Amino acid sequence: MLNKSWIYVVLTSLFELVWVYGFNTASEWWHWVLILCVIPFDLHFLAKACENLPTGTVYAIFAAAGTVGTALMDVFLFDRQLTTGKILFMIVIVAGVVGLKLSDEQQTEGVTN
Amino acid sequence: MGWMYILLAAVFEVIGVLGLRLFSHARTVKNGVIYLGGLGGSFAFLYMAFLYLQISVAYAVFIGIGTAGAVLLNMIFFGESKSYFRMLSLIVIIIGVVGLKALS
Repeated sequence: MLNKSWIYVVLTSLFELVWVYGFNTASEWWHWVLILCVIPFDLHFLAKACENLPTGTVYAIFAAAGTVGTALMDVFLFDRQLTTGKILFMIVIVAGVVGLKLSDEQQTEGVTN
Repeated sequence: MGWMYILLAAVFEVIGVLGLRLFSHARTVKNGVIYLGGLGGSFAFLYMAFLYLQISVAYAVFIGIGTAGAVLLNMIFFGESKSYFRMLSLIVIIIGVVGLKALS
């Protein structure tokens, strides 16, 4: 069951990047139909992943994957430059998000839901 | 303008998360509207922000403010822990957001 949950983590991160990419490239009405179909799947897989894994861990990976993925998109798909300074502050933000999410996890440990 | 939209997207995200919390406890129409309206507004403003800013910058700031906002709200209104580690993480996010703003 645990392995399946990790597949959900990967899927939610991928679908997240698909709709973010879509937001930046959509030009026809049917592009938007596709994007609006992807978002519920993204949220569904996120919820499924959280069923068997700690929410803090799932969300921390999700946020980090989204940030790294969009940075790669900027550089490789949209030809926009990322300076060292920008990359550094992005890492700082992700570190804060991961810190918050993981500290929530430690607190709820041992507490019955 | 882009930064304004990101801020609004993050605010709506927090509303959506709050709505989800309410909706999972009591499935009423009102709670459903807060949940879906919050998320919908969040996506709409994120789209607007993408028109002005680099996607990676917009996305990182959106995730950072959204998460920090939700935690702050829970600390203030739901009496969640104000541990040093959580405070430190919040400050780290703020440093990251301010830094990106300064460079963009």
